[in-house]
This record gives sequence, structure tokens and C-alpha cells, in this order.
Amino acid sequence: MNRFFRVTGAAICAAILSWGAQAQSTPPAGRLLASNCFQCHGTNGRGSGFDSIAGKSSSEIYKKLKKFQSGKEGNGIMAKHAMGFTDAQLLSISSWLSTQR
Amino acid sequence: MDRRIFISAGGIALAATSPLAWADDDKKKSRTSSERRTPRPTPTPAPTPTPGAAKSRVIVVGGGMAGATVAKYLRLWGDNIAVTLIERNASYTSNILSSLVLTGQRTLASLNYSYNNLLSAYGVQVVQGDVTEIDPVGVKVKLADGTILSADRIVMATGIEFDAVPGLSTSNAMPHAWQAGAQTTLLAQQLAGMTDGAPVVLTIPKAPFRCPPGPYERACLIGDWLKTKKQKSKLFVLDANPAILTEADNFTKAFALHGITYVPNAEILSVDPATKSLSTTMGNFNNNGVVNLIPGQRAGKLITNAGLNNATKLMGDSTFRFAGVNQLSYASTVSGAGKVHIIGDASATPQPKAGHIANQEAKVCADAIVRAFAGLQPDQGPVTNSACYSTITMTQASWLTAVYQYNPATAAMVVSAASYGASVGWNTDNFKDMNTWFKALMADSFA
Repeated sequence: MNRFFRVTGAAICAAILSWGAQAQSTPPAGRLLASNCFQCHGTNGRGSGFDSIAGKSSSEIYKKLKKFQSGKEGNGIMAKHAMGFTDAQLLSISSWLSTQR
Repeated sequence: MDRRIFISAGGIALAATSPLAWADDDKKKSRTSSERRTPRPTPTPAPTPTPGAAKSRVIVVGGGMAGATVAKYLRLWGDNIAVTLIERNASYTSNILSSLVLTGQRTLASLNYSYNNLLSAYGVQVVQGDVTEIDPVGVKVKLADGTILSADRIVMATGIEFDAVPGLSTSNAMPHAWQAGAQTTLLAQQLAGMTDGAPVVLTIPKAPFRCPPGPYERACLIGDWLKTKKQKSKLFVLDANPAILTEADNFTKAFALHGITYVPNAEILSVDPATKSLSTTMGNFNNNGVVNLIPGQRAGKLITNAGLNNATKLMGDSTFRFAGVNQLSYASTVSGAGKVHIIGDASATPQPKAGHIANQEAKVCADAIVRAFAGLQPDQGPVTNSACYSTITMTQASWLTAVYQYNPATAAMVVSAASYGASVGWNTDNFKDMNTWFKALMADSFA
């Protein structure tokens, strides 16, 4: 949370000078975490690999990831992946992926 | 010394400079404390930034999985960073799936990836050339033709080089085929041309080496192939490690299925290429038909010569093998060399040396560089993941995966126990998924 405020603060200061440039330089929350999905689901969640994960709502993605994490979807490779992330990280990933249309 | 750089349409153009003064001068400085060095003129900044003009410059050395990915993501995520990727070869040949060339199931050409997309889709300037030296303090690289390029950051994605093997003057007599290319073709030819009944040997070096499950999956594939193509031949796996390093359940069962003899603790003492014989700590293995000798591995000469190897010593080593990095940014931990980042197989972290996770290290590194250019600290909680499929037979595969989290207490990536595991057994669906995974991974790295 602290980091969020720090980053936001920096962005607001910079906005006075140049909003566009600075906004592009400050990575959006969740993007780096979500990039763990890209190897199999395509850059930004869209690609020629496994299921496309872009264009879905945050809650839809989060629910699916939690289901994988619980083991209810079996003990496949996605279950193992989901088990490696904290709840906060899964929320952050879902939230960022939902911005990809 | 002239440090001017000129911005060209695509990014970095040549710097007019005196290479001779550069080499000695800076190499000495890189080994002493950076604080004590004389302040030098910084590169002339670009004139008043105009729309589209680069504000910062990154040179990426090496166009494998890590290098291609970091170049792409620096352009994708950065604020118009000029990115120059320097690679010796005209295109990349994937190591992943290259063992399928040995069994004739894949061609090398099918594993070939062009750098064209990095230029056309992302604006990465790709330079085919041989880097002969880097200056980690001055943040410059020198090419074989004498050209010197400078930047704000250098990312080294230079992979591995192989240890010399006593008695082996040319590795072609006992190919490693651990760098997909000519040796892969050669090993395939040697296997196909071998007398039925001659023993086949595959040797595995002490960890860490590139792709931990790789030698075991190759052994499974060759073992399965022998059953139909060279029915009288047997495969011996000589492992310098005390046990199968990863996915032990699957590989132990698969070795039994294929009739593979597994010999742990077998370190190579010397070899005789003429008779294809090996002397090891577990005895002699003489007069083989084919020897696939995978030697020990270390970061390449560029990194060694720049003094960036400061981690990983195996028993008997007098020098370090790999480059220690800050695991939030992949910046070198050598004093004064913090503007050089090392990703992929050349760096020393608890993460495996493999293409899938190298792609993720590249993203963490790209994100950290983008933040650094914006005056921000790296993300304090990076996560990476490793995933791969292993061929257990010529038509069936298993999978192995792990997620790594940053531990601030140890300042290192640590595997999440719950996420680490392999498939229970193997099947044809996984073999299909392996091809899907491969296509997606290569697209995320090169397209």
C-alpha cells in the first residue's frame, strides 16, 4: 500500500510538468505480476497460446484463479501456478488483466 | 576520449572514439572502487527532447530468450527508450525442443526465430555483430570491428560457455548439442549412423547448468528412439550429481521403462575421442558408439573478462562461474558496475537456468530499468515462474513448474513450496500442450 501512495505521489508531481510522459514511465500496478501469464497466454494476455485471458472482468479472472488455487480444478499446471501467488497478488493480476481489451 | 553518441532514426549510431585508450583505461577502473574514479564527461544528452526522440538508451548483448524478451519489453513498457540488441548470429535457434531434432521429429529450421519482429513491431535496433569487450563502469561495449557503443544501461544476456574437458580437443567428437545448432545436427547424424549394439553415453555435468530437466528428458527421448531404431544398443546416463536433480519420480520410472542405466556421482576425469571412451569417478566406459558429452557450464568470457563473475564456485573451482545480481533489478552486484544488468543463464540466482524463466527475469529487469529511468526504485516484490514440458517418450510428455517469490530477508528469489511440482506421470495431452507452450513462449519472446 505504501508503495502505491509513493508511486501515485510521484506521478501527481510529475503531472504538473508532463502528465503523458511520466504516466508512461510509471508502471501500472499489477502489470509486472501479470506478465507471468504472458509466456503461455500471450503478451498482454492475448496470443496464440493457451486460453486468452484478456477482456475478462477482474472478478471473473480472480474467481478462476482462486478455483485453481483451491485444487478444485484438479492438480494440473495452472493449479500449481496459482498456489505460488498470494491472494493480494492474484487480485492485482486480475485487476490489471481486466484492463486489457 | 570522445563519448558522444549520435541518435539515428532507430536508436544508437556509432560513437567516434579511440578504442585503444578505452580498453586499458576502463578495465582497470572497473576493478577499483567507482567512488574513486575521476569524474568523466557524461554522454552528451540529446538536444531539447522532441516528440519521438529517445530519452535513454539501453544496449542488450545477446539475442536468446532473455535478450530478445528484455529488448521487446523495454520498448513495450518504456518511455521511448532506444534499445539496441547486439547478436552474433542472424537468427536464434531454440534450445527448447531441440532434442526432438535428435530423433528426427523436428528440423532445426523449425526452431529458427528471426529478429525482424523486434524491429518492425517494437522498434528494437538489431545489430549483427560480435561484442569483444564491455566496460561495466563507463557503460560501453566494443564490437569486433572496433565500434564502440555507449548507453545508460547494458543488459547482458549472453548465456553460457562450456568447460574444457581433459582429452577432448574438439567437442565435435563428443558433441554436447547443448547449444542448438550445428552440434545438434551432428549428434543426430552420429546417432543415425551408429552401429546397432554400440553403447550410447549421455553425460550430465554438476549443477548448475542450463535447463535442469533437459539432460534427463533427452535421455528419455534417445532411450525411446533406440528401442525402435537401434534395438541392440543401450543408453548409459553418467550423472556428475549424486541423484536425478529434478522430476525424479517421472525420470526414475521412465529410465526403467526405456532400459536406461543411470550412474550417479560419475564425474568425467578424461576422455579419448578416438575410441569414444570415458574415464570417470565411477569407472571407465569404453568404446562407445556415440557420446553426448554435456560439459560443465559458466557465464561467457565477456562477463568473466569484465570482472562480473562473483558467484557460484564448485568443488575444485579457482574462479567464480556466474554473475551475482541484485534480484530486484538484475543489476550486477560488483561495485561500480550497477548499470550493467545480467539476466538468464549467465546470472547466479536460486532460479533455474532455462528459457521460460529467463523470459520472466527479462521482464523484471525491463520493469526495473523503466522505473530507474523514471527515478523510481525497482518493484520490491517481483515474482517469476518456471514452467516446462519434458519429453518422456517420443509421443508423451510430463510437466514441471515453480513460482519464485522475492524474500527481502535474504534478498533472493525463493521457490514457493506449494507451487513447485511435476505432473504425476506423462501422457500425449501434455505432449500437445508442450507444443502450445513452446509457440506461446517463443511469441512472447520474439514476436
